[in-house]
Amino acid sequence: MLKGKKSLKVALATLSAAALAGTLLTGCAPANAGGTITYLTNSEAWTHADPQRNYTGMHIAWFGSYLQRTLTAYDRAKGADGSAVVPDLATDTGRASKDNKTWEFTLRDGSTFEDGTPITCEDIKYGVSRTFATDIITDGPTYAISMLDIPSAADGSSAYKGPYSTDATNDKASFDKAITCSKDHKTITFKLKRAVGDFNYTVTYLSFSPVPKAKDDGDQYDLHPVSTGPYKIKSYKVNDSMVLVRNDKWSASSDPLRANRANPDKIVVKFGQASEVIDQIMLTDKDKTSVSLDALLPTNLPTVFDDKGEVLAKYKGRAINVYDPYVRYAAVNVKKLNCLPVRQAIYYAKNFDSLITLSGGQAFNGDPADGVIKPLMGLDYAKTGWATGDKDWKPEGNPVKAKALMDQAKTECPDLYARATDPNQGIYYDIADTETSKKASAIWIESMKAIGVTMKFNFIEPGKYYSVVLDATKQGDLSAGGWAPDWANASTVVPELFTKEGGFPMSQNWEDPAYAEFKQRSDANLSEPDRVKQGKEWAALNKYAMDQMWVIPGVFSKTQEIWGSKIGGAFFWEPQGSLSFGDLYIKK
Amino acid sequence: MNGLLAYISRRLGVTVLILLAVSFTVFVIFALLPYDPATLTCGKNCNDPGIIEANRHRLGYDKPFFEQYWVFLVGLFAGRTFGEGAAEVFCAAPSFGYSVQLHSCVTDLMFDALPVTLSLAIGALILWLIVGVGLGIVAARFRGKIWDTLSTAFVLIGTSLPTFLTGLMLIVFLVIKLDWSPFPAGGYTAPDEDIVGWFLSMFLPWVTLAFAYAAIYTRFVRSQILEISTEDFIRTARAKGLSDRVILGKHTMRAALAPIVTMAGLDFAGLLGGAILTEAVFNLPGMGRLSLGAVVDIDLPLIVGTTILAAAIVVIMNMILDIVYAFIDPRVRV
Repeated sequence: MLKGKKSLKVALATLSAAALAGTLLTGCAPANAGGTITYLTNSEAWTHADPQRNYTGMHIAWFGSYLQRTLTAYDRAKGADGSAVVPDLATDTGRASKDNKTWEFTLRDGSTFEDGTPITCEDIKYGVSRTFATDIITDGPTYAISMLDIPSAADGSSAYKGPYSTDATNDKASFDKAITCSKDHKTITFKLKRAVGDFNYTVTYLSFSPVPKAKDDGDQYDLHPVSTGPYKIKSYKVNDSMVLVRNDKWSASSDPLRANRANPDKIVVKFGQASEVIDQIMLTDKDKTSVSLDALLPTNLPTVFDDKGEVLAKYKGRAINVYDPYVRYAAVNVKKLNCLPVRQAIYYAKNFDSLITLSGGQAFNGDPADGVIKPLMGLDYAKTGWATGDKDWKPEGNPVKAKALMDQAKTECPDLYARATDPNQGIYYDIADTETSKKASAIWIESMKAIGVTMKFNFIEPGKYYSVVLDATKQGDLSAGGWAPDWANASTVVPELFTKEGGFPMSQNWEDPAYAEFKQRSDANLSEPDRVKQGKEWAALNKYAMDQMWVIPGVFSKTQEIWGSKIGGAFFWEPQGSLSFGDLYIKK
Repeated sequence: MNGLLAYISRRLGVTVLILLAVSFTVFVIFALLPYDPATLTCGKNCNDPGIIEANRHRLGYDKPFFEQYWVFLVGLFAGRTFGEGAAEVFCAAPSFGYSVQLHSCVTDLMFDALPVTLSLAIGALILWLIVGVGLGIVAARFRGKIWDTLSTAFVLIGTSLPTFLTGLMLIVFLVIKLDWSPFPAGGYTAPDEDIVGWFLSMFLPWVTLAFAYAAIYTRFVRSQILEISTEDFIRTARAKGLSDRVILGKHTMRAALAPIVTMAGLDFAGLLGGAILTEAVFNLPGMGRLSLGAVVDIDLPLIVGTTILAAAIVVIMNMILDIVYAFIDPRVRV
């Protein structure tokens, strides 16, 4: 749902794996060992600490660096090299059958949980089984459910309901067939319902992490997950802090990815810090060994960056302004806005310039997006001809073109036209209730007024925003959204956003006449073995979705990060869209 | 003595009835809110009606209203189990429910937060009583003089500066800008972990909270003393030739004490429900931030728990004050 990009580099992955294997360490301390790194955040707690419930790139990067291991992981490298997949708990990056429907991974020797118990195939299988308990293990990725060869129940959900279900119809037998373990408990085999050529990327997700069944207590496991990484949780208190100390049962020789990088002796996360206080601490370098987990407030951006977004000399080496993996947009509820000219009129009328200025300007907020796939996706991206590629599109809005489309709508879809232009009805836009959103709403309303459309806003409490807009019965006409590929394949973007079975189907476009062809092509492309051909088709389907205006594109967004002057090793880890936390150390 | 015991019994009975009424009212409000509690328990998975229904059953929201309230009341005395099998969660008595959003029993969350708020409220209470009562006495004693003018200025600043601004200014100027500052920029250290750390982590929050209250108390004490100074018994004392110091200490203050104690007791009880802004600015994991988080995240069981607890503290504090009065003044027992 919320992370990285980059083209697949299987060859590079293999090379990286070999390189790592060749530099296996035998437990010696890293060169920059020692000290305490303190993370500051305004959040009251982690969204989730349970590996099966972690989904955002930043969280996966943090927990994957310190606490949780999975079968494979992204390499810890700058730039495109960071998107190469390398072995983690597994000895290699996985072995696929010819049809890519069966994948096998063998576990390394010496990997243990924090109590010293060896990690077995059964522990990983149990961890994956928790994903299926979607009533309790919420918010995590559901790729195991959609990919494993397990039949569906009558209502379309998986026939297997996870390890907590006491329902007699719970189809555990199918799950046991879909994931099998070798007799020596070392090799795990996944049987998939369709060909997945990059399943070794799927298992980089922490949802494929091992969980010891005896320590699992369902929802509450979120407060005390058992560590398999170089650190373990000493204390975790919501609204207060989390403290990690070294995991003395962790073996560096079984974990080449982290062996030379587990630098600090202690890691502290301070929750609930006021945003302005965090910014002041970072700007004044008051705590030189701290790292902000939050974005700088827009008002403080000019203190750190110049107008072009370059880091000012005073902050060189401890701040970055880079593209993150996200594309921001307004999802169109196609069921309600079932008229293409109206959707296109909204797109042309939108005042992009004012909206981007409100959020800090293009240097900090990002570039106009022409679809839902970012150019950094390489193989899967091609210009769609919209936004900057569209001669009629103007950053300040093109009311003339938009009005012409509304005139067209008047005859093609009079009911929707009447509603959109009626001051007592209008079009409803769902947005999280923040100060910036309120200001943005004024810009939208003005833009739409220029073409005679009435726009109204549903300001939704941020904590329950997605539970409202993902509920088909509650969603308005337009809903603010953002998405990033889950790994370097637009298979984690296009079907996720625009098919009924996708993980983020905010466009509700399955009754659109154009959907049938789209769905058929998308399904076929998921099983396409030729990656180049597959990439071209994702690019074409991105254009197809844009031609139907299933989203009003926003920006290819950017992010700003800042850390203290005594923090070393910081770089932007592209696939996770965050700092590579596991590489940070305290400078001597 | 029998009269006093009977009075205490009556007050206890009334307190229990009030608490029952409060809990029922909160439960009714809970039921009337335009939110389905079950749809707030499964994040993005809540677009699946099957999951919503499973959680509705697991958390007991599928039962009729009065049955839910009864189960809640029983849980207060016997504890309560949520879910079944390996994912079963037992919340020991007094159980106020289970917060799915924070993965914890509501009672555990409140018992973790309460000591922090107690630390804040007790320290601030001591500080504002010393400063507020002291300045109030000085202002009254030197009415119309420079000390009175200065205390009026203090009152104006203290009552007009919002708590969050005072707190932020203290953090920025006394913590961040000052290199040698011993105070942390926020966070709480438990006294049993590090008593010095606890004092340093609480000092600025105490000052912030006490600043606003001390201003109010300065004004209140000043006006109380000036009002009592015009009473007949004070004139008599003065006519008897007693010194101003004796009149103030032995007669005026004794008469002014009762309303000050009442006000302090109620303010203290109110603070135990949470000093939201001070806790938010100084990142103290107390009742205020817990309640605020519950409201922002629409964590309904936690909203019910914190509301009932805050109301219970005020009601019980009122009861204690009434009983103390009954000790002091027998007329109250009737």
